[in-house]
Amino acid sequence: MPWLTPINQPLTAAQAAHLLRRATSGSTPGQVKSFTGLSPAAAVTRLLADQPVPALPLDATTGETYTDKPFVEASQGNHQNWLKGWWLNLMISEGTSVREKMVLFWQNHFVTTFAEVNDSRFMYRYNALLRQHALGNFSDFVIAVTKDPAMLRYLNGNQNTQGKANENYARELQELFTIGLGKGNYTEADVKAAARVLTGWTDTGYRNTTIPTISSTFRIAQHDTLDKAFSELYGSVLIKGRTTATAGDDEIADLIKMILAQPETARFIVRKLYIWFVGAEITADVETNFIEPLAKIFRDNNYQIKPVLTALFTSSHFYDDAVRGAMIKSPVELIVGCLRWFGVPAPDPVKDTTNFYTYTNYLLSRAREQQQDLMDQPTVFGWRAYYDTGLYQIWITANTLALRGYFTDQLVNGLFKVNGKAYTFDPVEVAKTLPDPSDAFKLVDDLTGQLFATTLTNAQKDFLVDTVLLAGLPRYEWPADWIDAAQNNIAAKRTVVKMKLTNLFLYLLRMAEFQLL
Amino acid sequence: MKRRHFLKQAAAGMMLPVFFDGYGARAFGQESAFVQALAKLADVNDRVLVMIQLNGGNDGINMVLPLDQMSKYTSLRSNIAIPEAKALKLYNTLTTGLHPAMTGLQTLANDGKLAIVQGVSYPSPNFSHFRASDIWFTGANASQTLTTGWLGRYLNTEYPGYPDKYPNTTMPDPLAVQISAIASTALLGPAQSMAIAIQNPDTFATLVGDKAVQDPGTSTNTPAGRNLTFIRQQQVSSVQYAAQLKTAATKGKNLVTYPTSNSLADQLKIVARLIHGGSRTKVYYVSLGGFDTHASQTTATDTTTGTHANLLKQVSDGIKAFMDDLKAQGTEDRVAGMTFSEFGRRVASNGSVGTDHGTAAPVFVFGKGVKTQFIGKTPNLSDLDNGNLKMQYDFRQIYATLLTDWLGETTSTVTSVLQQSFQLLPIFQQLYLGTEDPVAEFRLYPNPASSEVFLQSDVLRGNVHTVDVLNSAGQWQRVPTRRLAADQFQLTVRDLPMGTYIIQVETDQQRISKRLLVTR
Repeated sequence: MPWLTPINQPLTAAQAAHLLRRATSGSTPGQVKSFTGLSPAAAVTRLLADQPVPALPLDATTGETYTDKPFVEASQGNHQNWLKGWWLNLMISEGTSVREKMVLFWQNHFVTTFAEVNDSRFMYRYNALLRQHALGNFSDFVIAVTKDPAMLRYLNGNQNTQGKANENYARELQELFTIGLGKGNYTEADVKAAARVLTGWTDTGYRNTTIPTISSTFRIAQHDTLDKAFSELYGSVLIKGRTTATAGDDEIADLIKMILAQPETARFIVRKLYIWFVGAEITADVETNFIEPLAKIFRDNNYQIKPVLTALFTSSHFYDDAVRGAMIKSPVELIVGCLRWFGVPAPDPVKDTTNFYTYTNYLLSRAREQQQDLMDQPTVFGWRAYYDTGLYQIWITANTLALRGYFTDQLVNGLFKVNGKAYTFDPVEVAKTLPDPSDAFKLVDDLTGQLFATTLTNAQKDFLVDTVLLAGLPRYEWPADWIDAAQNNIAAKRTVVKMKLTNLFLYLLRMAEFQLL
Repeated sequence: MKRRHFLKQAAAGMMLPVFFDGYGARAFGQESAFVQALAKLADVNDRVLVMIQLNGGNDGINMVLPLDQMSKYTSLRSNIAIPEAKALKLYNTLTTGLHPAMTGLQTLANDGKLAIVQGVSYPSPNFSHFRASDIWFTGANASQTLTTGWLGRYLNTEYPGYPDKYPNTTMPDPLAVQISAIASTALLGPAQSMAIAIQNPDTFATLVGDKAVQDPGTSTNTPAGRNLTFIRQQQVSSVQYAAQLKTAATKGKNLVTYPTSNSLADQLKIVARLIHGGSRTKVYYVSLGGFDTHASQTTATDTTTGTHANLLKQVSDGIKAFMDDLKAQGTEDRVAGMTFSEFGRRVASNGSVGTDHGTAAPVFVFGKGVKTQFIGKTPNLSDLDNGNLKMQYDFRQIYATLLTDWLGETTSTVTSVLQQSFQLLPIFQQLYLGTEDPVAEFRLYPNPASSEVFLQSDVLRGNVHTVDVLNSAGQWQRVPTRRLAADQFQLTVRDLPMGTYIIQVETDQQRISKRLLVTR
């Protein structure tokens, strides 16, 4: 079957789980149930449905919004962490939508960072822009990002003026944001010409302590009004130099149109989506049978993003057995995924703001030490695990693996505490949601089937039952223990069963299989 | 005669030079039975290589200053140019100075422990951070993509069968340690990274625990299966090496005070402890980011301060403290290191008090084993390629030199690791000539001398790159040198012990040696 052909049969439980793991910030057993039996098209329609604009983040000390107010130097540290936490919670609390997963994709595509920009209001505006365009039109998106105040600062577009071109944005626009380096998709002269097209833009309101407004503006006096000639790689396009007040917008429109007219641009973006949603290995077959036709859909739909995602998430290739478990969870996928799957939501961001941020700060620290700091990528390339040799495997080292285990241990052991309250789950309650937890083997079989992307061997399941869960005790003792603990509520039995299940969860969440997506 | 040509001819046997390096005599470019035997002996050496990555594209032109072209330099980058008066001067050179923030490296240079290799790049340089970094990491040609790192390939050759057969009694320690959460592509072997990435050796053991997750699962040759194999291997390695790292970190001590608020120094401090603690790890890898100085590279009012100055200070202070520590530990003889960045920056500055992506840049090699300090000329700012510096040396010549003359690999191994043969640089070797050039108009007086010696010749009127004084063992001597006139130099030999010395002068045209007797 051609790889991009949609499948039409209703989703099996395994397929629904796969779709939700990949397309959302994390699946839950309940969501898997509700998606099982839907047609792939109907499931994807739900995932792509428009979502409301989230409420602004609040200042924990004042209870007021802060991203729409003048800059406060003394609060920057908090404002930055709170904005990151606010976004992290959008991922944790989101329903069955692809949106925040796409916002994260675009934040790692059009990178700007707190470390460089250093004004939380700029970063909020940038984050909101990513959300606004996340499922919209890529052409509009690139134009908006090009003029975004945070981006103008991050890649020095605000210092790119006539006669004193700063090439930083012009280069990354081509290399990272649109067409890609490829085997030479543009020349050094094209970088210089694009920089001249982009001269004259600047941001306003940066760290302004009296005026809340931030925006970007075009100054014709700083603009290079001569014509800009591009190489034959771009079809020798000549972008006419303009002298009017709209010269900046007009020339950006020409530039983006020129770059997006190259089929390689659609391929470049589709390849990045493939790495984000499907797998790391872009073989010649993947290129021919998946990337190329999907890029054509992108171009034929005038660079609308939704048709591409619809085709991707309904394609037969996406549901191939070989695709399952082909990805390694990022730190955010691991952390957010755990909280979603086990149902460990944040304190209320409005009524309990201080505790809310204590919760998010803890999680942000865990993600940061595992090398994924939101809106603070190490370089403009984004996180190495999405472009460098080895791809997702880069997330895993002796060190980060240990830190992943530390996080899951803390969660399972009830040591993730906010203001004295443990943010954890009751393993007995989790086991109760399974079809037949009184059978130790079925308990492990069903639980690992839901929790892992891949299927364990029977030998592994036996090991988990006999060595980990029962620690050498005979299996026949488990049903009675379980019934006494879970149904008869005998306290002593409940303690014992809970201890056994806690050991099981500690072990499961440290297994290599749990790292896969 | 240009050095390159000189070396080529030397290799052809014209002058029969013999190089002295850590293993004794090595016939240049030869694979004689004698050299092979020496190389074999070297296999069991305890030498260590420290790689320092300067992430983002370091502005080499402001780091190593072309003192012979300061007016051209200042006119091309007036808003960020370091004033000539502020440049740090070095012994034995009149053309090369250091950024004023690099006092630590100035001391190392004047102690003969720093080599500056000028104009390092590769043919058809790339301007993308990622691609250029990848080229440096993998040692690839600009047109080639390699999936393993150059250090990964070296370690895989030196320690075949990693990870399955390791740790073992001959190599109980990690082959390479990167002080980071993530290992560099440079350390990527054929199957996986050859390095253990750690951030803190004290807490590492506690974090990974003392036993791996026992997982009887098998894995298949699918993407998921390959991921599982990889993750399980990481679980096992981390546990296997944790105790060993903790032991070394506990036994090892830092014997000097390191600068604070210096993340490079923090990393080097850990490296020094592990070395002192007896770890046999072969390669250490540390890095410092922030060199992508498109804007505000210097402060507007004082070009010797600002972002780049702070970064260079961290590099200089960090390496100086590290070297001092090694000296105090008594491990100085075993360690050499190099700095590198994915590219240098454009010669002309931009309007944002910064510099855009460029090409060739200097590389530092540091260590007590360094024998030749200045390799290559200050870059010619009047002969640019599209506004960028031309290359003098391929970065892989430095890799080849480190592998051959420092780590003791054979020529055939080095060629296989680097996938090509590269001409070595005399970083760890001192040229010792059997014959002296018959230069009639070259006067050295008085000879014998006791305190001051004067060199006079018309050949000194052009660019003079180096004036070196070597003892009879071919070891470089620290001698204050001053240019008195266009054709005259003064050397202060007052502090040299009595004996026979060789004075070597290198100019654009030639390299001249003269014998000098010091008596009192």
